[in-house]
Amino acid sequence: MNLPSISASVWEALALGLATGPICLASCGPVVVPWMLILPNGWRVRSHQLTVFLAARLMGYLLFACVAWWAGSAIPHAWSGRAWAFGCVQLLLAIALLTYAIGWPKTRSCAAESGRRLVQIGVAPQPGRTGAATLGFLTGINLCPPFLVAGVRASQLGSLPAALVFFVLFFAGTAVWFAPFLALGFVQRNPAIATVARIAAALLACYYGFLGASTLIARIIYV
Amino acid sequence: MSSHPSTLERPPAFRRIGKSILLTLPILLWSLLMFSRAFFQPRLDLRLASVVVMLFMTALFFLMMRTGTTYRWRRYFFVALGLLFPVGFIADLIAVRGTMSIPIERMVSGDTPFCYMVIPMLVIPAALTRSIIFPGSILPTASNPHSIAIMIGLWLALTLVLGKAWCSYACFFGGIEEGFAAVAKKPKIRRIDPRFRLVPWAILLAIVLLSAALFEPVYCMWLCPFKAVTEYPAVRSVQTAIQMVIFVVLFIGLVIVLPLLTKKRTQCAFFCPFGAFQSLFNKINIFEIRIDREKCIDCAACRNACPTMAISKESVQAGNTLLGCMKCGACVDVCKNHAAVWHVKGTAVGPSSERSRLLFLYGAWAMATMFGGSVLANSVSHLLHFAM
Amino acid sequence: MRKSFTAVLGYFAGGLTLLVAILVPFVLMGFFSNAVARAGLHVDEGYSGGVAARTIARDGYRIVVNQPVKPHLLQRMEPFVQVAWEPASALPAQISEDVDLDGDGRPDVHLTFAVPADAKEPLQVNVASLNDNYQSFAGVENESYSRLVMRTDRGIMVRVPLSRKFSTR
Ligand code: SF4
Ligand code: SF4
Repeated sequence: MNLPSISASVWEALALGLATGPICLASCGPVVVPWMLILPNGWRVRSHQLTVFLAARLMGYLLFACVAWWAGSAIPHAWSGRAWAFGCVQLLLAIALLTYAIGWPKTRSCAAESGRRLVQIGVAPQPGRTGAATLGFLTGINLCPPFLVAGVRASQLGSLPAALVFFVLFFAGTAVWFAPFLALGFVQRNPAIATVARIAAALLACYYGFLGASTLIARIIYV
Repeated sequence: MSSHPSTLERPPAFRRIGKSILLTLPILLWSLLMFSRAFFQPRLDLRLASVVVMLFMTALFFLMMRTGTTYRWRRYFFVALGLLFPVGFIADLIAVRGTMSIPIERMVSGDTPFCYMVIPMLVIPAALTRSIIFPGSILPTASNPHSIAIMIGLWLALTLVLGKAWCSYACFFGGIEEGFAAVAKKPKIRRIDPRFRLVPWAILLAIVLLSAALFEPVYCMWLCPFKAVTEYPAVRSVQTAIQMVIFVVLFIGLVIVLPLLTKKRTQCAFFCPFGAFQSLFNKINIFEIRIDREKCIDCAACRNACPTMAISKESVQAGNTLLGCMKCGACVDVCKNHAAVWHVKGTAVGPSSERSRLLFLYGAWAMATMFGGSVLANSVSHLLHFAM
Repeated sequence: MRKSFTAVLGYFAGGLTLLVAILVPFVLMGFFSNAVARAGLHVDEGYSGGVAARTIARDGYRIVVNQPVKPHLLQRMEPFVQVAWEPASALPAQISEDVDLDGDGRPDVHLTFAVPADAKEPLQVNVASLNDNYQSFAGVENESYSRLVMRTDRGIMVRVPLSRKFSTR
């Protein structure tokens, strides 16, 4: 690849990421918003978690870049396994959201109620990185429309490193759009908001579960 | 949960008949004004229906003035609205379209009557692209008078006056379950986890996010229980069949069975995302219900009476009701110590309860007569038409 | 002192609410409705079919071709172009013709459908794509927002789906 074509690809990847960021936002919003509201208070905790989320999302991108480049431009539209992959990712996303909805955080609390407040022993546990990484990775390989467009372009590039760089830059373009989510870090977490976010996460898990299951079932019936 | 306003008598605070009539006079004049156009209609059924509804609304207001209680009389109106609205709506649909189901071609033609339940889902897509994600029409047409602009305008105007009291004086769905909740003498299910109150907010969050992403009114497509008694997408695929099953199950469960068992408005309290959205307008509305701490003896009568669990132990201790209070008046009517009171923000809690009530009720009943009254008149006219 | 001031303010706001209530049917409702109507909003193109781009004159009738409608964000419908044959009274009993959908002077699809005299008779359309920008389909009424044939007040309308390369899913 010569220099002008490299710089053209750099700009193309960045521009594509920036231009399609709103779709990324729409695609990830229903996952990120409830998840962020379930997280414990504090701008630092939430921005750290969002960083882990984005890093895992980048990993998802890079993995896809490898697959896309390896399989050539056949992947995004004609690949017969696309519906399978889409269905499975939706189901996994549903499971991850459901885990958040019913699982974390498990604060150790005194069995008895003292007055009206549940007495918490020690410091509330900080969330680990696994949850954020799982959600980030799954939304990363979610096969959303801009992602597929980027996949087509990456697969047409001359080498694997070029495809990887293309996806890194595409990611950087889209990541700018995630900045508004940081504002959620300032939402004071009170038990009511956390419960609302959990129930919303469970509802959204139902939606993704239905989407995944119906895609897979349609695939089984019609293929 | 030992009592309910329908079964618990508050010590009567009767006004004299003359004074009650005097206080009712403005509402009588307002009703005459609101129905004046209908009186000159050529259709006899419509004229008759208007007279009946006008007398009904005025009589209920008179009884509110005479007895000093609110809930029971408001409930007659609200249940009538809830039960009769589907009658008129379905009759209109059948007259125009021949069926309750709406096929794609009618949606494409913009013939779907606009429903306010969609409003929270419209905001983000409209802000991003100016698109309204509802298959209606912006301006009224011959085949769809319930246009988007008219219905949003009406909702905005009513919300300015009512706030969350929309759910007691305007919504044409809430009355159905209020009717079923009134049937049993005592509730069969008494213990309800208060966290269920948060479900409408969660549904609101989920549908707003999904509608913004998918650009479709997710709640209408998947979750609205009232599709079962209004209009629904024609069942032509597995997806529409699943949607139909969801609508019917939610309607039977939340609007009929659970209100019968709990004597609460379970759909409104634990499901309706529009109700949650409407609660936000309580913040800017000047009227509210407060608890006078000096008179309150923590008997829990108000909590048990509240149809939407909008009073908690903590809120009583703080002298407040919760954000979801829809100003139905059940708690005030049931409180023997006159501790639950109508209140205008900024004034002292307690002494001016009746003045606050009157100020609120004139506005609320005027809106109920104008909006609910016209819906009722339309439905009653259909019934009269069948009968005559 | 402060209390009585807030009380005065409170009653003033209460009185104002009452005034607003009186103004609702006469002024406010219309005011808000007009404001919404003038806010530049439009029904989503997925439902409305978008705006007309070109009119092709035919012998006695015309074909109105709309701008292509592409889905917003993750909207699940396929992109499509809406084409309408108008007026209903001037349409021949059978339409079978090439139509240029993108205005480049070359035909893009060949459409065939019968125009029954009885308005209640179901419609059936056959769309044969002449290039890879559009999808061929043979369909009856109301299949989906992106592929349908239906009667309108003015004539007959067909929605032709764009090919998968424009699709979001
Ligand atoms: S909660 Fe919903 S259904 Fe119930 S009255 Fe309010 S808007 Fe209507
Ligand atoms: S708290 Fe509000 S909703 Fe509950 S009974 Fe009292 S007035 Fe009605």
